[in-house]
Amino acid sequence: MKAFSVEELDAFFRSLEADYDVRVPVTRHDGTRTLGVPGDGPLALAGGVVPSRITNVFFPHLEAVLAVRDGGTTMPSPLAKPLFVAGLTAQDADCLEFVDQFFAAGLPDDLYRRRRSGAVVACVSGRCGAGGEFLKIARGKCDLELVGDGRKYILAAYSDAGKALAGKLPGGEPVANDALAKLIEESDALPADDLHVLQTASKLLLENKVPDEFWQKIANRCIACTSCNLACPSCTCFDVFDRKAADGIVERWRLWDSCQLDGFQREASGHNPMGAQRQRTHRRIHHRLAADVIKWGHITCYLCGRCDMVCPTGIGIKAVCRELVQEYGAA
Amino acid sequence: MRRILTTCPYCGTGCCFYLLAEDDGRLAGVEPSMEHPVARGGLCLKGWSAFHFVNHPDRLTTPMIRRNGKLEPASWGEALDLVVAKLKDIQAGHGNDSVAFFASAKMTNEENYLMMKLARAVFRTNNVDHCARLCHASTVVGLAAAFGSGAMTNSISCMEEADCLLVTGSNTTEQHPLIGSRIISNVKERGAKLIVADNRKIRLARFADLHIRPANGTDVAFLNGMMNVIIAEGLEDKEFVKTRTENYEELKKAVSNYPPEKAAEICGITPGEIVEAARMFAKAHKAMIVYSMGITQHTHGVDNVKSCTNLVMLTGNIGRPGTGVNPLRGQNNVQGACDMGALANCYTGYQGVTDPAIRAKFEKAWAVDNLPANVGLTITTAINAAADGNLNALYVAGENPMMSDPDQNHVRKALEKLEFLVVQDIFPTPTSAFAHVVLPAASFAEKDGTFTSTERRVQRVRKAIEPVGESRADWEIFCDVAKRAGYGGMQYGSVSEIMDEIASVTPIYGGISLERVDKIGLQWPCRSKDDPGTPVLHVGKFTRGLGLFSPVEYRPSAELPDAEYPFLLSTGRCYPHFHTGTMTRRSRTLEREEPFAYVEISPEDAKTLDIRDRQPVFVATRRGEVRCMARVTDVAKKGVLFMPFHFEEAPANRLTNNALDPVAKIPEYKVCAAKIRRSS
Repeated sequence: MKAFSVEELDAFFRSLEADYDVRVPVTRHDGTRTLGVPGDGPLALAGGVVPSRITNVFFPHLEAVLAVRDGGTTMPSPLAKPLFVAGLTAQDADCLEFVDQFFAAGLPDDLYRRRRSGAVVACVSGRCGAGGEFLKIARGKCDLELVGDGRKYILAAYSDAGKALAGKLPGGEPVANDALAKLIEESDALPADDLHVLQTASKLLLENKVPDEFWQKIANRCIACTSCNLACPSCTCFDVFDRKAADGIVERWRLWDSCQLDGFQREASGHNPMGAQRQRTHRRIHHRLAADVIKWGHITCYLCGRCDMVCPTGIGIKAVCRELVQEYGAA
Repeated sequence: MRRILTTCPYCGTGCCFYLLAEDDGRLAGVEPSMEHPVARGGLCLKGWSAFHFVNHPDRLTTPMIRRNGKLEPASWGEALDLVVAKLKDIQAGHGNDSVAFFASAKMTNEENYLMMKLARAVFRTNNVDHCARLCHASTVVGLAAAFGSGAMTNSISCMEEADCLLVTGSNTTEQHPLIGSRIISNVKERGAKLIVADNRKIRLARFADLHIRPANGTDVAFLNGMMNVIIAEGLEDKEFVKTRTENYEELKKAVSNYPPEKAAEICGITPGEIVEAARMFAKAHKAMIVYSMGITQHTHGVDNVKSCTNLVMLTGNIGRPGTGVNPLRGQNNVQGACDMGALANCYTGYQGVTDPAIRAKFEKAWAVDNLPANVGLTITTAINAAADGNLNALYVAGENPMMSDPDQNHVRKALEKLEFLVVQDIFPTPTSAFAHVVLPAASFAEKDGTFTSTERRVQRVRKAIEPVGESRADWEIFCDVAKRAGYGGMQYGSVSEIMDEIASVTPIYGGISLERVDKIGLQWPCRSKDDPGTPVLHVGKFTRGLGLFSPVEYRPSAELPDAEYPFLLSTGRCYPHFHTGTMTRRSRTLEREEPFAYVEISPEDAKTLDIRDRQPVFVATRRGEVRCMARVTDVAKKGVLFMPFHFEEAPANRLTNNALDPVAKIPEYKVCAAKIRRSS
């Protein structure tokens, strides 16, 4: 087992560009960390969760679905090369697993599949979070994992594709046999307070113990910015619309949508069964913690932290659940 | 896929985000900036949608000239030669002031500067103005009179430091969402006191310690009433009044006529509400006023603003973090367009055109003689002049007076009478329908420059994609017009050179350069290259020296409800849309959220008139009638109607009253008399 420096990994990611469309965390112009191609900015593996919705590499904000010209239909061209994406946290890997499942269920989503198939995903974990915070180790659910030991990154490969790429990574320095095991121990010992809060909130919701007044109180604080949805890597809702261009081409697009909007579920008549903001606020949390438990058998918030990070009024899912459990958990 | 850091093109909050640009030159999304001090990783609904109109197929992509009554495609050379020839010809026949220029709060600082320069240095007229005339003209006049500087005194971050906020005439969570959210956070997390003085039950009212609903247009009586109580109870900041202000005795005399009982009667509220508001505001260690169009868009808009300045000076709430008079500017660059002198009475940095020394300075900088010395026509007076046949040509860049100015039928008459109308814009508009020449401009995503946000923060706009079709950046078009008009002093290699010129003639921008505003911008005044900028104005000393108390008397609005028109109609914006809707109504999510024109009516009034929610209704005033959808909501107070002005199919400004504040020339959008009936 070997550990690699940031410089070695940077060179490695660049070398993959011959065969992959490579996306890695980089520091942008004003210091914001986002995914980008190598060279878009300094490689920024450390720092924890990449703030924007990380599943956007497979499910972009706006995406062409098809174009109609002279009665003929054309689909967007497939990617020239498969994607290589580094920078997911362990929670992001859980999100991705769920999104994979979502887009594969029922009628499989071809646009998603085109981007996702053949893609190689690498998690970043260990002692490399924001301010030195220890990030949970994924131990699977990705092809490769870079586990920070505070100095370098220990490489763990899980899938065949991951192992094949790992074999091509030059350099590195050997680490003690138990180095990774010790870090995993540390990962296992991470507090699970947030998860317990989420599970308790889920139980309260399934038992219908949270009254409308609570949701009204939260809804009052919601300015319907939609950031919670648009930053959430597990959110999969999209809106479809057509645009007719001057040259006779009609293009069909899909665009991220938000269940926090009145227009999301308004009927053609103008009636909206989710017309009150209180209902939409309730829906946002209930969907992840109750409806999905019934449909998929598990909670579908993986505590990536993005909605709590971006909500301008402090009502991300963790904050709401803490308040909910505090008010109704004792009963 | 590239990501380019830029500034949002909607409200004046000034959030920065990354535009996602595809390799095919189209935009594919936005990502918030985590490091920007205002956005802090967030965006509002409009911000998240800000990329969406850019590649809309309706974009103007080629110049057009009206031939035989129809707008037909033309080359840039043909179109610009015609613009120059017609403007010069009209000026030769009718004088320099027969031509007017409307700049735009949507354009960059550099572009506003150049349009102002084009009007003054090339076409020799001070007839240049922009839509600040319609939103915060009263702020600029009122704050400058009291403090010597006409801008928001504090920073957005101060919203989280105040111990008490008086929010009046600002629906902050809808119109400046990332400022509104800070107010909510301050109330929820720090326990700040919140007074909302607003006729409508806006979201912030749900958090308010005190929600007062004075009748529209009675702000002076309300604020004078508060000051009466403060002085009567000895709650004024005596030391501040003594050392930092002048004319206090006159103020004291004026407000003595507004005991709470009398003020309450004018406002239609209880005396107790005024007393409670006065005590809450005056007893706070750090109190601030946050206001917007509800204060400014009145025939007594300047008086309203002066009353706000009186209240903060009386209580010593200015010149410190967490205090101040904080007018929230409505557009991305309305602050900057004012700063750049796209105003009829001043050059950049509010340097007056009537001051010979200032004129001499600009004559030297621009290498011209005899700059015009008279104050020019404003947007509102220019439209009036055109309607009267006293203005012959108009060059409109990025404005849409057919939708934005009061009394649409009057505006239509004015535009029809013009001998020559040039409209430079990104989309066809109801205004461009009257144009003789239409020039396609590049959008915010297709050019470089700077915007100045409401907190006086000058920040970067960056080109993410190439301009669509043959469209060109507004600044390049102005330079080309100047060159064709024979002026050699308007040729630049980049926008950076333009900003350097602005800095050289504008003391408050003296230290600004594109390099210095690169990441998070700088707040003016920034007078030299080592000046770190100014988050809080008037610390220790007002710009004018001592703060000037300006006693004002309550004057009723120009047109109040009567037997024939029994409702008071107020107009404004709604959350998903922006101004005349040219961009937001072409943005999928935003248009879906609010697809129809509507009028808010209270449940009581709706019941009386047998009007149901979402039912079509006619709203009429003495100026005209529109058909829209009723929205029955307790946001509206009994007797009051509210309409957003974004909808071409039911333009609220067909109804509004073209009555102006005598000094600021701002129209009274917030009060007119109306009637409403069911549509069969």
